[in-house]
Amino acid sequence: MKQKSFSIPAMAILGILGLIFTAVADLMLSSYITSVISFIFLYMILAVSLNITNGFTGLFSLGHPAFMSIGGYVAALLILPVFRKEFFLPDLPPWLAVQQWPFFPAILVGGIVAALVAVIIGYPVLRLKGHYLAVATIGTIFIVRVVLKNTEELTRGALGLNGLGFLSSIWWIYLWLVITVYVAWKLKFSSWGRTMLALRENEMAASCLGINTTMVKIAAFVIGAFFAGISGGLWAHLTTVITPESYSLGLAFNLVVMVVIGGSGSISGALIAAGGISLLVEYLRPLEEALGMYGLGQILISAALLLVLIFRPKGLFGTGELSILRKEITYRSAR
Amino acid sequence: MLRLTKRMKPIIMISLIMMAAMAMVFAAGQKEAAADAPIKLAGMYNLTGGFSSIDAPGLNGAQLQAKLINEAGGVLGGRMIEVVGYDTQSDQQAAATQAKRALDQGVIAGLGYGDTTFVMAAAPLFQSAGLPFVTSGATHPELPKWVGDMFFMVPFGDDDQSFAIAEFAWEDLNARKVVVWTDDSMDFTLALSKFFKQRFNELGGTIVHEVFFQTGDTDFSANIARLRDSGADAVFVGSIPNEAGLTVKQIREAGIDMPIISADGYDTELVATVPGPQLANDVYFSTHTYRNDDRPEVTRFVEAYREEFDRDPENAFAALGFDAVGLIADAIERAGSTDGKALQKALAETTEYQGVTGLIAYTRPSRVPEKPVAIIGVQNGEFEYLETWWPGN
Amino acid sequence: MYITELIINGLIQGSLYALVAIGFTMVYGILRLINFAHGDVIMIGAFVTLGLLQLNLSWPILAILVLLIGALVGFTIDRIAFRPMRGAPQVTGFIASLALSLLLQNLGILIFTAQPRNFFLPEFFRKTVLIASLEVRYLSLVIIFSTIILLVLLLLFVKKTRMGIAMRATAENLQVARLMGIKVNHVIMLAFIIGSALAAFAGMLWGGRFGQIDPLMGFVPGLKAFIAAVIGGVGSIAGAAVGGYLLGFSEVLFVGLLPSSMSGFRDAFVFGMLIIILLVMPNGIFGTSEEERA
Repeated sequence: MKQKSFSIPAMAILGILGLIFTAVADLMLSSYITSVISFIFLYMILAVSLNITNGFTGLFSLGHPAFMSIGGYVAALLILPVFRKEFFLPDLPPWLAVQQWPFFPAILVGGIVAALVAVIIGYPVLRLKGHYLAVATIGTIFIVRVVLKNTEELTRGALGLNGLGFLSSIWWIYLWLVITVYVAWKLKFSSWGRTMLALRENEMAASCLGINTTMVKIAAFVIGAFFAGISGGLWAHLTTVITPESYSLGLAFNLVVMVVIGGSGSISGALIAAGGISLLVEYLRPLEEALGMYGLGQILISAALLLVLIFRPKGLFGTGELSILRKEITYRSAR
Repeated sequence: MLRLTKRMKPIIMISLIMMAAMAMVFAAGQKEAAADAPIKLAGMYNLTGGFSSIDAPGLNGAQLQAKLINEAGGVLGGRMIEVVGYDTQSDQQAAATQAKRALDQGVIAGLGYGDTTFVMAAAPLFQSAGLPFVTSGATHPELPKWVGDMFFMVPFGDDDQSFAIAEFAWEDLNARKVVVWTDDSMDFTLALSKFFKQRFNELGGTIVHEVFFQTGDTDFSANIARLRDSGADAVFVGSIPNEAGLTVKQIREAGIDMPIISADGYDTELVATVPGPQLANDVYFSTHTYRNDDRPEVTRFVEAYREEFDRDPENAFAALGFDAVGLIADAIERAGSTDGKALQKALAETTEYQGVTGLIAYTRPSRVPEKPVAIIGVQNGEFEYLETWWPGN
Repeated sequence: MYITELIINGLIQGSLYALVAIGFTMVYGILRLINFAHGDVIMIGAFVTLGLLQLNLSWPILAILVLLIGALVGFTIDRIAFRPMRGAPQVTGFIASLALSLLLQNLGILIFTAQPRNFFLPEFFRKTVLIASLEVRYLSLVIIFSTIILLVLLLLFVKKTRMGIAMRATAENLQVARLMGIKVNHVIMLAFIIGSALAAFAGMLWGGRFGQIDPLMGFVPGLKAFIAAVIGGVGSIAGAAVGGYLLGFSEVLFVGLLPSSMSGFRDAFVFGMLIIILLVMPNGIFGTSEEERA
């Protein structure tokens, strides 16, 4: 029996190349360009993690920004130094006001809290299908936003938190990118992954085979939410600002575009599409500013999606992967 | 071995492409050599979006001052000043990102913004980089404490301007019962309402009720219904320029005639153009002084602005931007250098900079300047200067 | 008097939502497509009105022009974006409509800049009349009555005319309708045309009501109109109207009766309602769709 996976040497080489690239960026380029590259890496993390929910399992979720917000705020609240909390957030509950965590654990907790919220939201919402699920996840974005805006003691409401430490160095982000890709890789080529793909293809048949579809759907949703929460924490400490409006439906849409163009279910597709599209957006930004033509980048992305949907709905790779990264495992049948 | 080589070719190609990309990005990211280049100041402003009506004039004023200084010979024996404008699109994340970009491009100080929240997004980055930031229009009295010792304010604080309009409402409009509308999505408006309520209560007035709205709201019908039902003499609207015109328009269109009062968030032409001349009546707000003022600095500024931009200064924020650059240039001369620490020291020691908007001196421990407040009234869409209020009254 | 004002506000907001919800539901009923770009037709209608106002036309002509241009926009959207995707899975159409929506919004920003624009309706609409000791603008009455009139006209069309019956048939079962000789593509086009005309008309009224328009103004109202359609039962025109009024009233009462500090929760309340309805009563009030929703 043949089964595909990623070839370990190819992935290792890719990982090392990425590491060298990161080192060069950090040491030799201006900090502005380095943060642009950091954003590109963040988009890759987001696209690959969205692919787990949308691509592998076929759940059309537009909810990533909600989980980014949750992860971002939790991390920010934990990291913010105590003296700043005093005048910035005077009404924090006392147990929170004395916390001052280091970067990595705080980001991790952000992701975990986002994942927990995903479990709670997931149970009711994942019973919906197709575009109704999508609309419900849009609703989640709005609901989370409103809750953040109106719990001023915890979040400063609509003002948001600013002056956050600039802690997301490109190294941290690259580390999380590697983790995300690794998890997606292992997941896709395991029996869990095959179950998710089966669910995507035909949910009814999958449940007839005895698969607990609810568990699988929630698991996919939660894993995606975890990485979204992590990305939120990383993003907030890259831009040093977080407000309830920071992560919007527009961002969710762009992530969906990356997943669709890369091919729903393809990890390398998501990476390439995310890299390409975010590079394009960052490239166009100074142009937009110079010409006063804001919105140009977004128009191009939307148009690109429409064209892809009409002419090549499978995207770049469909559910497959980039060929040089692949490796075929041949099982010898027992003899 | 053979299999590996076949695989290696695409991998080698990809590595080459990545290295080429790196080289391009590297070239793009080169910092400019300093040498005897002009002295660069970062003009952080929201040229598009909700704050553009006050920030665009701010940048105009700033660049006008730089031009006048350069025409008079520059600073430090002939070096030219350049105010590089950065449009942060009324978005906090853009503010932080552009601040980083500015710092990368070798500015020696930052200035700008007409709003507290954006200052909070950008100024801390200058503070950590050890460079001064001078706000032209943000007015929260705790900003110097929040940001740090590199931060300086050109305008007065929200406490002063709210006290001013509260006293005006009490004495000149005979208001005794006021409804307060507060935009709770902006630090600035929250401060305005807080200080207004404080002074109005001290004078013996009653705040009938307070309602909230947010930047970006377009539907005020619920608050208007409550207002109609309230029996108040006047309504205080703590809003930023974005909602200034709309609130006046909807209140007047609903047939409510009571005076509408506010602070410098209403110092924008939107207050006249959005409702239109028929409805823009009985609106009063406190702002920075420069209209109807015949001090030589003011006349010089207004004439220079007219000549450069073919119109009168739109509002006080143009004058404030002008003053911000003037203050920095003056500090550079006094410090004798553009070094961050030296500049900070010179700024902190300012005791008599005559700005267009009044005397700037950092004598109070809060480091908020003590400046006069102008009260402006709007009738038939026309702005008229009514009186000046002095702090410590 | 406070309550009177709340009721009138509820009727006004409800009318606006109803106009837009009807368009949603018509397209959905036939194609099972959630068209996100529908909300942005509101924006197009508002900006078109702004342009036409410069021409100083009498307002009935203005209104008719807005309806016609809205119809044209609907036709274009169908032809260019959705016709090529007939037969694609449900989710594809949905993402496509989202893409279209963002495209329209950003085109608006490109052409008009994100700066809000002032909207002055002709003098006539700003005159007021006294109802129950409350001064009500003519505009408010126009909004309420024109919605009711259009609704009645539409219901008559759908019940009595051949084309209307064809639409109902297609909504019930597209394949069979096609087999019976109904030109399904024409029916779909008509649904888009009527829906967009109504949305553009709503845009004109919307601008007049609030006095300010900007390129992003249509998206959230469009989303809420979709929620109204779901409440009323997607596929049912009367249901969409009822849903619109219910939503309008709930919003106004939520903000008007609860303390002002809670008014920020209004949108969470509306979206929460959507999720609950989808889970508990997916067919809404009047809907009869047997489609698998949950």
